[in-house]
Amino acid sequence: MKLPLTALKDGESGIITSVEANPGRGGGRGWGFQKRLMDMGLTPGTKITVAKSAPFRGPIEVHVRGSRLALGRGMAERIFVEMTK
Amino acid sequence: MTEKKLTIALAGNANVGKSVIFNQLTGLHQHIGNWPGKTVEKAEGTLHFKGYTIDIIDLPGIYSLSTFSIEELVSREYIAVERPDLVVNIVDASVLERNLFFTLQLMELGTPMVMALNQIDMAEKKGIRIDHEKLQKILGIPVVPTVAIKGKGVYELLERSVEIIEKGRINPPVAKYGEEVEKRIKEITKLIEKIPFKYPARWAAIKILEGDEQVEKEIREISPEILSTMKRLAKEIEGIHGHSCSTVITSERYEAAGRIAREVQQIVPKVRPPMSETLHTITTHKILGYPVMVLVILSIFQSIFTFGDYTSELLSNLLYGWEPLSEGLLGTGIVKDIVWGGIAEGIIAGVTIALPYIAPFYLILYLLEDSGYLSRIAFLMDTLMHKIGLHGKAFIPLMLGYGCNVPACLGCRIMETERERLLAGFVTTLIPCAARTVIILGLVGAFLGFQWALALYVIDLLIIFLLGRLAFKALPGEPTALIMEMHDYRVPHLKTVGKQAWFRLEEFIKISFPLIIVGSLAIKLIEVVNLLDPIANVLSPVTVSWLGLPAITGITLIFGVLRKELTLIMLATLLGTTDFAQVLTPSQMIVFALVAMLYIPCIATIAALVKEFGSKKALFITVFEIIFAILVGGIASRILSFLRIF
Repeated sequence: MKLPLTALKDGESGIITSVEANPGRGGGRGWGFQKRLMDMGLTPGTKITVAKSAPFRGPIEVHVRGSRLALGRGMAERIFVEMTK
Repeated sequence: MTEKKLTIALAGNANVGKSVIFNQLTGLHQHIGNWPGKTVEKAEGTLHFKGYTIDIIDLPGIYSLSTFSIEELVSREYIAVERPDLVVNIVDASVLERNLFFTLQLMELGTPMVMALNQIDMAEKKGIRIDHEKLQKILGIPVVPTVAIKGKGVYELLERSVEIIEKGRINPPVAKYGEEVEKRIKEITKLIEKIPFKYPARWAAIKILEGDEQVEKEIREISPEILSTMKRLAKEIEGIHGHSCSTVITSERYEAAGRIAREVQQIVPKVRPPMSETLHTITTHKILGYPVMVLVILSIFQSIFTFGDYTSELLSNLLYGWEPLSEGLLGTGIVKDIVWGGIAEGIIAGVTIALPYIAPFYLILYLLEDSGYLSRIAFLMDTLMHKIGLHGKAFIPLMLGYGCNVPACLGCRIMETERERLLAGFVTTLIPCAARTVIILGLVGAFLGFQWALALYVIDLLIIFLLGRLAFKALPGEPTALIMEMHDYRVPHLKTVGKQAWFRLEEFIKISFPLIIVGSLAIKLIEVVNLLDPIANVLSPVTVSWLGLPAITGITLIFGVLRKELTLIMLATLLGTTDFAQVLTPSQMIVFALVAMLYIPCIATIAALVKEFGSKKALFITVFEIIFAILVGGIASRILSFLRIF
């Protein structure tokens, strides 16, 4: 099942399937946006765990490749994952 | 015998202890400047070692060598084109995989390299053990374990570096990509080798496959045909993998980094989470995080202002004690007026800001940054900052702005793109700094009550929000979302923090002092030649007719450009009383405070704007804010008289 990263609850993990640079809502940064996420290690096939989300639709804290990242919500919405148990 | 010169560049992710190693290596022989034409800090230092004079360049902390941020561009341009003799890659042992991703990219540049495997003590606390000899064997470059804050391994690092340079060995590229990718990299490399190109061929080939705009542009200028061949090859890879070519390359590079990391590290999870984890949980907590943040920020401001007010007065008394001396030397005529009232008072104004307020401000800021707390604040404030088109990190310069706009302006460098720096810079100049707080509290707060002062702050926040949004819409380009590593909390290295604060203070002095002194001198001259009243009269259409203020306020507002709180002090002098209620009506007080709060902060801030964004943008912001302040002041004056509140 393909879900946006924001659909995961705190503590849940998934495998990244794709990063949609331009889901057609505007505000995408195209190449730069996607490249940036890749550079930070969010490549397809990577395991990602949501640690917690900040309130008021704030950023989420994720654990990926042994490090801890803060991701803006708009960005997290465009990262799609396959749920793992 | 003259010593041979060597250049060594330090490169690595942010927060891996790079500046600490830089400090350990170069001690006091440092020079902090900017990269030519860029607002990116360039730290350089020299040391003497085994008959060599070694220049150390501390490159900015970055995660990749793409074109995402100015820092990345500066770093890769430096390594690829200026070619230091050696690159020391500083790696955080507790986040090995991510760091290795960067290492592999550095190795593609083909410069001789040594790795400093730093913070091994912190990694061990997290239960991570790394076999550095195995790592060294896999990578083919020397790997030196270090604990920089204790100075461990730094000497050996230097020894190995010089050894490698003397041997003149170039590392073999280790990051082998998949066969179908590797084949095309080789083809492109061959094409590039045929043309005169400033970048290393294999590196440029990989960058082309990654879709790098800058390298593409440079190749297009030389040979558009070659570029289209390259594009075709990239398309082929996309056809095979079903992902964009840039994704394929980056994924494979990360796979390689992950493979190496798994091979050399052993992770034994600790039963009890370390202190730093508990701190992280509390400081980013949904509910608890916010009161903790407010408490931290308030106590910082409280202690800085308590310390600042005390020392500032002490210093001021001390320095003014020299006035009789100047009278003795220069008499009491015009010369003394100009020298003392113009130059000396300008210096005093500068000193009594810089030492008591700015110095502790910077010190605490760097302590917070180095410990890791600033990134947690950015995490908590991201949502709010998005309302004005910025992300969480922008909260840091904004917060600084409440102390002084100058460091706030310079602090906008933490934003990734030029657009966001400008936007954040503009917004910070609207934040009421300490001097403006003096006016708001000293005039409106003292005579009309605290609720009116608070109202002014709220109005200011609304204006910031409104103008920030407008600027966000008006500026071309798109907003960048927050992607930020939150490294583990750690104890800051005091010496490094102290040095960073010191360099910032120096920068502040260099930027603001000349202008404060020149400005102070100019105003003194105007006073001496009796131009004050004519100027007040010229300004009266604005001050009297539009703003409804006494004509004399025009002069004080001009003085305020030097230091905002001077507007209040001058007002008292010119009106002959500190009981402002006798000379100003309540609505005049509000209008005056409002204008003083909004029109361009002060001459030092203008200088900081010029330095960061160029004189054109600085002039635009200045003129805009002056007009805007007058506009708002006039409207407020009309609303207040219409409402007949007072």
